[in-house]
Amino acid sequence: MAIADDEFRSLIEIHQRMVFSIALRVTGDPSTAEEVAQDVFLELHRSVERLANAEHIRFWLRRVAVHRSTDALRRRAHRPEFAAEEWEEQHSLEDDAPISSINLQARLDELLRALPEPMRVVVVLRYQEEMLPDEIARMLGKSVASVKSHLHHGLKLLRRKAAVTMKEYVREPA
Amino acid sequence: MNQLEELSSEFERELTRAMRGVDPAEGFADRVMARAQVNAKPRVRLFGMPLRARVWTSGAIAAALLTGIFIGEEIHLRHQREEAAQQQFELAMRITDRTLEHVQQQLWDAGVRLGN
Repeated sequence: MAIADDEFRSLIEIHQRMVFSIALRVTGDPSTAEEVAQDVFLELHRSVERLANAEHIRFWLRRVAVHRSTDALRRRAHRPEFAAEEWEEQHSLEDDAPISSINLQARLDELLRALPEPMRVVVVLRYQEEMLPDEIARMLGKSVASVKSHLHHGLKLLRRKAAVTMKEYVREPA
Repeated sequence: MNQLEELSSEFERELTRAMRGVDPAEGFADRVMARAQVNAKPRVRLFGMPLRARVWTSGAIAAALLTGIFIGEEIHLRHQREEAAQQQFELAMRITDRTLEHVQQQLWDAGVRLGN
């Protein structure tokens, strides 16, 4: 084997939360996320000798987790229930119901699932992994402008959805 | 910072807090290890070997190749030598035949008759 069992187990234990969280938030489904996360670590098992150090392994795991998650999402042909623009048109802030007490944490996965895939990936990497836009752009092979645009629109859409469904962040300026 | 930016930052902070990592179901490492062991079939993979084994295997393969080339070259040379000997033999036989015919013709011209 390319890596000793105990070393490999240690790598899984260090990174499983990161890999599973990315998979969960991108795919929106715990069982798919488990499968994707397992596949990512099996791929690591085959490739680990090519990775130079701990930082490289972390970067590689993040990148592969994102790619395998989006692959799984496309295989499932999962689409948001509404297109982003359509959703925004259907929900205006003025005619909202009373503010819900459900917190963002509890509704986060549901809100994320409604985002289109490219926005979802960028939002997860920015706010879960706390990566900067240029790091995200490098990882995804996109331009920084494209990443910033996805972030801007993704965030706007999330706020709008959160406002409509939770009523906790409705404080638009006059 | 205007009110909209302030609200956005507040929402972003909330989002960062809400997006904390989630652990997979218990026993995840065991499940991955089990799959890794099933997938790790005993195959001869030169680049997956330890350095010492890789050096020895590479050396053995190189030695086998060199031996093969040497034996092939020997067989080729031997074949060439056999062909050359065969050609020399055929040439000698043709010369002998022509000489005998010539002698026979001279004897015939001299009126010498050798048996039947």
